[in-house]
Amino acid sequence: MAPVRISAFVLLLAAAVAALLPVAFPFHCALVPAVAGALLRIDLGSSVPAAPFLIINAVVSIAVAIWGLKRGSPPDGMRLALFSAAMTGVLLAQSIVAFLLFWEGMSLVSAFLVATNHGKRYVRRAVFSYALVSQLGALSITAFLAILAVHAGTGAFAGIALASGTLPTGVRIAALSLAALGFGSKAGLVPLQFWLPRAHPAAPANASAMLSGIMLKLAVYGLLLACFVLAAPAPWAIGLALLLAGAASALLGGLYATIESDIKRLLAFSSIENVGIIVATLGLAVLAAAMQQPALAALAIVAALFHSVNHAMFKGLLFLGAGTLVERLHVTNLDQLGGLAKGALRRSALWMLLACMAASALPPLNGFASEWLVFNGFIHALAVGSPWFKALALFGIAALATTGGLAAAAFVKLYGVGFLGEPRHPAPVEPEPFDASVAALALLGAASVAIGMIPSVVLRPLSQLAGGMMGEAPLPVPNLSVLPFLALLPVAGAVFAVVTANRRGVREAGTWTCGSVVTLRSQYTATVLSKPLRLIFGFALFPQRERRTEYGTSRWIPTRITYVLSTRYVFDELARNIAAFVQRVSRGARRFQGGFLRVYLGYALAAFLAALAVAR
Amino acid sequence: MSHAAQIALLALFAPLLQGIVSRLRARMQGRPGASVWQPYRDLQKLWGKDAVIPQRSMFVLVAPGVALGVAVTFVSIVPGIAATDAQAWRFDAVALALLLALGRFVTVLAALDTRSAFEGMAAGREIAFASLTEAPLILALLGSAFLSDGSLVHAPNGIWIDALAAGALLLVMLSETARIPVDNQQTHYELTMIHEGLVLEYSGWQLAMLRYAAYLRQSAFFVLAALLMPGSGVATLGWMAVVGASIVLIETAYAKLRLFEVPQLFASALILSLASIGLRIVDVLR
Repeated sequence: MAPVRISAFVLLLAAAVAALLPVAFPFHCALVPAVAGALLRIDLGSSVPAAPFLIINAVVSIAVAIWGLKRGSPPDGMRLALFSAAMTGVLLAQSIVAFLLFWEGMSLVSAFLVATNHGKRYVRRAVFSYALVSQLGALSITAFLAILAVHAGTGAFAGIALASGTLPTGVRIAALSLAALGFGSKAGLVPLQFWLPRAHPAAPANASAMLSGIMLKLAVYGLLLACFVLAAPAPWAIGLALLLAGAASALLGGLYATIESDIKRLLAFSSIENVGIIVATLGLAVLAAAMQQPALAALAIVAALFHSVNHAMFKGLLFLGAGTLVERLHVTNLDQLGGLAKGALRRSALWMLLACMAASALPPLNGFASEWLVFNGFIHALAVGSPWFKALALFGIAALATTGGLAAAAFVKLYGVGFLGEPRHPAPVEPEPFDASVAALALLGAASVAIGMIPSVVLRPLSQLAGGMMGEAPLPVPNLSVLPFLALLPVAGAVFAVVTANRRGVREAGTWTCGSVVTLRSQYTATVLSKPLRLIFGFALFPQRERRTEYGTSRWIPTRITYVLSTRYVFDELARNIAAFVQRVSRGARRFQGGFLRVYLGYALAAFLAALAVAR
Repeated sequence: MSHAAQIALLALFAPLLQGIVSRLRARMQGRPGASVWQPYRDLQKLWGKDAVIPQRSMFVLVAPGVALGVAVTFVSIVPGIAATDAQAWRFDAVALALLLALGRFVTVLAALDTRSAFEGMAAGREIAFASLTEAPLILALLGSAFLSDGSLVHAPNGIWIDALAAGALLLVMLSETARIPVDNQQTHYELTMIHEGLVLEYSGWQLAMLRYAAYLRQSAFFVLAALLMPGSGVATLGWMAVVGASIVLIETAYAKLRLFEVPQLFASALILSLASIGLRIVDVLR
């Protein structure tokens, strides 16, 4: 094995260990510059809310490191180590300067990761839109933190948290709105989600695994920090905004995932959906805290954190599996795939199946446990508070249930079309051997199964954390430990069916298609499998079909018919329109910046006179 | 009646329920109809026959067993009909919806593994409709169950609020049990089938397992819909008869809906279930 590959592995592993160390050995250190005083101090230390995210960072980084032993390009591995370290830095930051430094470092490194294949035009465009959104987000976050720091008179998070109680309501709402904008854009919430489905297919798969598995969760961490520590208590309006934006992201992400045929874009939309669920649950927590229901708020925080952990596991697995696929077949379009479980991805298929089941929230996997907990938070909310609060909870349940159905449709499509049936891909590849990349998938898959079977392992520490934050223990959920047993009889049934088949014997006789020959073309593709959904949700997707017919010698016998199917992405169009508007305005503003020194001197004079007039 | 007895009775008489509904529908349509014991004969005949499958793939082999396991679990988590409001039962609507999703996931994967376009067609329709029925299913069951920590409490002032939830569940049930106006159990026309289409490749004892699983699921849905209405014990049995009668009436009076009008049916179910909970929220305030 090439030494550069091994050194990338060691670096990323070291980054993972560095993320774990502060959880095991709490520490705190501060660097206060002599000149600038309290506002500019750089403060690092382990904090309670960061612990689950540090563990997510470590586990996903280790899996990515193992995967990198076999696949991916080693220089990417080096950058990934830097990325992981920057994210650890964000989680350890205990002052504004430290937080912003690491946050910007993280954004920068991730932009470089997205730009890996910068030779292609769509990659450059993806980098541009990602950089734009993350700079906009960083600007809002800076403004948010600056407002808090000015009020508290210190840059240290501890001081800001102490002073948060005395924030005037208007300032608090303004600051938290900026935080929601900044962190929400990083999380890929509607309507600022458009960068995400572009960045993920552009980035290499191991980078996508970390972007989706870890970085999106840091945005969740940011929201948690803003709403429950730095500017606590957050007003109900912020909770409402988070709940609505989260539900909209969940629904739209789920919908776009079901109709998507490109495997990496499908996973990206599914990330939008899952982060939407997490943020909606955080919104519920904020609302519940504002309604004086700390136990319910704590339960919602536990659910949001639990789903964050689980999403990191199964989505990291899915992206790494997609990476194996790209490297072996160079195809990501499901319509050109099929039968992967038979050869091309023989060893990875089982783990991909488990991850697809977890993403569809099926028992007994981890996605089921956390989705159930999220639902439970909303159901408990039906029984308390004002009727408006209950109505919101009702809306949340309806949105979550529909999202769950859509996610199941998306992942049944991913696995059923991509991995089952006959291969559509013409190029033969040798069957996949068991190697490091499969071991990486197995690591995350085993974690998903283990958390799903024994959820209390993760839930107990999370409950303590949330209880500490809210000052009251979360509402108990006694059922969750027995729920994995729901899968007992189905698994027993599966064993029974296989045993009976072996005992009695089954005859193989080919697929029946009314007597015609079964060809590859009769096998359903991803596009046509999702057609009913595309038509049912036509009011949001605007599907368009264009038919082109070519004729040869006779005008009655077409030689070729091609269909072009397209879907409109309304929020992308909205973003594009806003961007076009901004460009138009700035082009107009160029008139005032002619480049003549005289004009600028005139502006300076006018500004000086205006300042005098105001200060007089 | 203990819960174990209820599970045993449901397991024993689930095919009979199907037989009774079929017989009633035939009478309603002016035909003599088959005996109410016909489903048992069908099951016995199928169980004795060998199975023919397209190819030995894991999913094709496993799916009938998973479907049966899911159905048995469903029957065993349905609350006892003898419980009164005082002995409030706990019921987990979310877990039920996700359990049914597990069965569907495996069945659809098995269908896609056969490479047949008929199965693919049915699979696409199944996942589309399932994503629309999940919300009304959960909400209809929550309507009765949310008030005191998941335990069943009927609305204090009115059968109508319960009836809204039960109506929503009935509409979901029409889809889940492959009945008119969503699907039609009587035809075997490949281009229109949904549930039958998914299992088109199965035969013999494997089909017997799938059929029995469908009967079990149907009987569990009967019990759930009846439980949403007030009363317990004999009253619930009476409501089960009402559910059966409504299904027979709907199947006789209506034709199958056009495929893309079915979502409107589910939208009505969603609205009914939302209305039932909404009315209860207002009711609690009073």
